Amino acid sequence: MSNDSKDSMQSTTESKTPTVPIWIFCLLLLLLYVCGTYFDRNSGWFDDQVYAPFQNSDEVAAYQPVSGAAATKLEGQKVYSSICAACHGDSGQGKPGQAPPLAGSEWVNAADFKEAGEVPQLGLNGEVHVAGQDWNSQMAPMGAALSDSDLAAVLTYIRGSWGNKGADVSAADIKAMRTAIAGHPAINGETGLKAIK
Amino acid sequence: MKTGFSVFIAVFVAMAFSWSGFVLGPVRQLGTEGQTNILNSSDIYPNQRPGAATLGLQVYRSYGCAQCHTMQVGQEGVVCDVVLTAAGNKPAAVSNLIATLQLTGLTKEQADAVSGQITAAGGKTETHIVPTGADISRGWGMRHSVAEDFLWDNPVQLGSVRVGPDLSNVGMRYDVNWELMHLYSPVSEVKSSTMPPFHFLFIKERIDGTPSPEALPLQGDLAPPAGYEIVPTEDAKNLVAYLLSLRVNVPLYDAPFTTLAPATEKKK
Repeated sequence: MSNDSKDSMQSTTESKTPTVPIWIFCLLLLLLYVCGTYFDRNSGWFDDQVYAPFQNSDEVAAYQPVSGAAATKLEGQKVYSSICAACHGDSGQGKPGQAPPLAGSEWVNAADFKEAGEVPQLGLNGEVHVAGQDWNSQMAPMGAALSDSDLAAVLTYIRGSWGNKGADVSAADIKAMRTAIAGHPAINGETGLKAIK
Repeated sequence: MKTGFSVFIAVFVAMAFSWSGFVLGPVRQLGTEGQTNILNSSDIYPNQRPGAATLGLQVYRSYGCAQCHTMQVGQEGVVCDVVLTAAGNKPAAVSNLIATLQLTGLTKEQADAVSGQITAAGGKTETHIVPTGADISRGWGMRHSVAEDFLWDNPVQLGSVRVGPDLSNVGMRYDVNWELMHLYSPVSEVKSSTMPPFHFLFIKERIDGTPSPEALPLQGDLAPPAGYEIVPTEDAKNLVAYLLSLRVNVPLYDAPFTTLAPATEKKK
């Protein structure tokens, strides 16, 4: 090393370039850690549905009170208004010339849910007698793609609303019925509906 | 001014950083909140406050009620209580089993395990979600406050100092007569109250023929001279309408709890 470079190094030391002390770095890291922990405990990562004392959306979902019958009815209502209500009406009153009523229908109020369960799964074409009137229209198998629990919920909803007095339908019932009628063609009118075993 | 530009950049970054944290972040998080469904119901929450209550919020604001009252219920935890709803075919077995189990103050996993055990023994159970915390045990609310609760309030009067009690649910605790009397003379309703009387929200009127139905039923030292009556002003009526509209008593997805019975009003 030459003398020159040694001199320049000394002059740098003497000019006292301000340096950040190590303890500030430590303090900042500590602060970062504390803030990170705080966010983790209280923010739910900025989800608008998560408030303390819940820490994340899974926890909020886990602590939802599920009151059996009310929850099923609500789910059924949701399915009904998104699929069925377009033709059968918001309160099951039906649409003249297009879809028979569900409110007060003898098929819906039957002791077992056989017909009420088969029609949405298989579809129904042709003549059918509902609530003192003859109907001749077509229904696609709108409920075939629904899950067992959704179809059970919507049937429970239909059979328990607007003055209907049918018993509840469980997802297990629907599952059993699905295997029983698998592969059956679309139902041909009232005679076809009664013919299904 | 060699450093002018870097000072500008530094100031800009500092301002932008705090603006992002205090304005942009919250707006992105909560700015799209709207009406929502009450849990297990198709009813909408919250509904617009009645007109008088909307005016009452401005009265609440103008007299600085938020200086001493908060409007936010805290919640420190949530527990599950397992409740037996039907004993089934073997009630003896179920009751023996229950005697060995802890049924209250459980986490969700524990509650699921316990109700699984009881169901296996033939009983039927329900799991109740119960919020816990100091505010809730004081009777100030059923659950923590959430952003939706304040949807129709502008400006939101959260408050930060609790010289007086929290008012999130004051509409469920008292009725209109109590509120008016309490505004006129807090000590006559709550002995230990430190709230100042708001006499200026009332007018002393000469009784002209029949007494006003709105006149306060004042007695003793508080009673006005004979032939006079104390009636509330519009401000007082609007403020009370606002206070009575404060009721956060429904479960929401982000504030779940089990509603055990319809909320009852405590009347004086």
